[in-house]
Amino acid sequence: MKDFYKFRKPVYLLVILTVLAGSSCKIESLRPANEATKDISGNWAVVAATRNGTDLTSIVDFSQFKLTFSEGKYTLVNKLPFLVSQNGTYSLDDPQYPFQISFTPAGSKAVATAFTYPIVNGVRQLTLTFSPGCPNNIYIYTFRKVN
Amino acid sequence: MRSSLQINIKAKWLWSCCAALVLGIVITCCSISVFTVNQPDTAVVGSTVPISVNFTYHNITGGNTENLVFGFLVPKGWATAQNAKITYNSSVGNGKMVLMPANTTEPQSNGLSWSAALLKKFGIGGNLVNDMEWVVYQSDVGFPLSNGEEITATLNISLKVGADNNNTMCKLGYVIAESHDGLHEVDSYIDNGAKYEYYAEQITPCFMLTGGSGDVVDFCNPQLTNVDPPKSLDNDFVTLSFDGTVTKTALPSSSAVYLCATANTNDGKTYTVCDQSVKTQFTQTAAGSNKYKITIWPRSYFGISDLQTIVNMNYYVTDATGNIKVGYGNTAAPFTYTFKCN
Repeated sequence: MKDFYKFRKPVYLLVILTVLAGSSCKIESLRPANEATKDISGNWAVVAATRNGTDLTSIVDFSQFKLTFSEGKYTLVNKLPFLVSQNGTYSLDDPQYPFQISFTPAGSKAVATAFTYPIVNGVRQLTLTFSPGCPNNIYIYTFRKVN
Repeated sequence: MRSSLQINIKAKWLWSCCAALVLGIVITCCSISVFTVNQPDTAVVGSTVPISVNFTYHNITGGNTENLVFGFLVPKGWATAQNAKITYNSSVGNGKMVLMPANTTEPQSNGLSWSAALLKKFGIGGNLVNDMEWVVYQSDVGFPLSNGEEITATLNISLKVGADNNNTMCKLGYVIAESHDGLHEVDSYIDNGAKYEYYAEQITPCFMLTGGSGDVVDFCNPQLTNVDPPKSLDNDFVTLSFDGTVTKTALPSSSAVYLCATANTNDGKTYTVCDQSVKTQFTQTAAGSNKYKITIWPRSYFGISDLQTIVNMNYYVTDATGNIKVGYGNTAAPFTYTFKCN
């Protein structure tokens, strides 16, 4: 009898553990998180800029140049070489997962470019790649929101 | 006895593996020798220049079908991909060289295209203006090669030079390789008493192109001034460099220097900015270096209207008084720069 208990004890324990382990697994209901609409409205200033990989930030004064988005319109303040040179309207290809931004200067055709919208050190940035002059000259501006 | 037998079996397996490994290494080997380039020293813009490249290709063992690969270092402005025709005559067959597809990767460069791999390995061949490109071709067919086969080949290049209409001095570059090993580094393999070479490279002396109506672009010799990017429009940021160490000029060494420039617009007007101010002052790249840079946005710098474009720019480098002016080749003639993309 003693031997019987010796034998049965681990078995009982194993059964109980199996039941507990089984009952602990539950299929979570997988619902995709509702991604927020990307709101880029506000004033943006250049914090980094390159031309064909060469850093321009320290050799060009970008401090006065601002890009403002508001209610579907954009405004260039103290212009510098950019994707467009006139004010107009803008749109994102997807408000939740945008990969492209389109600028339509007043009276001109839309110009689209890829953009990224990462959070760097807790601050949202906007990075645009474009060629304001020769197509082989590639510029990358990184903007940060300012007041 | 049993134990000894087991050792013998393992040894046989080991020897087989080693033999296969050695064979594998040998199969991928090849060598290029007797590499000569015949090109003229000068040509006229728009003419068709004949160039021949001769070489001997020594294959060690057979087993692979390989395409001949040819890399050609040329100024971007020549649009060589559109303006060169290349054929080959060889002891294994004749045919055409065709452009290497842009998505074909060079086998030794971790996913880089052939053109990018050549640029990474050889740069721009000692040229001083970063406006050169490697245009890459391969033979229209591959050749199954046998052990020890020695192939003699000639590339016949017919190149229409100077599509950008610029008078140019540049060093042309030539690389011969094959598609299987690509730009394989020299390793421990010895062939005929020498380290085995998988490719061959040659940069020729300065080639001079004359007769064009565009700017003079000298890739070979250090210049007093340079413009970056080499090709730009008035809506680019343009960086002008002045190197006072190239030759002794009338400007005092390592003193403040200024840009004195005139822009010519598409409507026939001229805009001159020639004051000696913060706006026009070059920045010395390092104290006492006598090397300077200034970056301008030409549209704003010259104050043209939205309806105008700048066609070209003439400029001098001056001292703080504006009385001492240094121009092209350290003469009284201005430096010139044409705004264009090709």
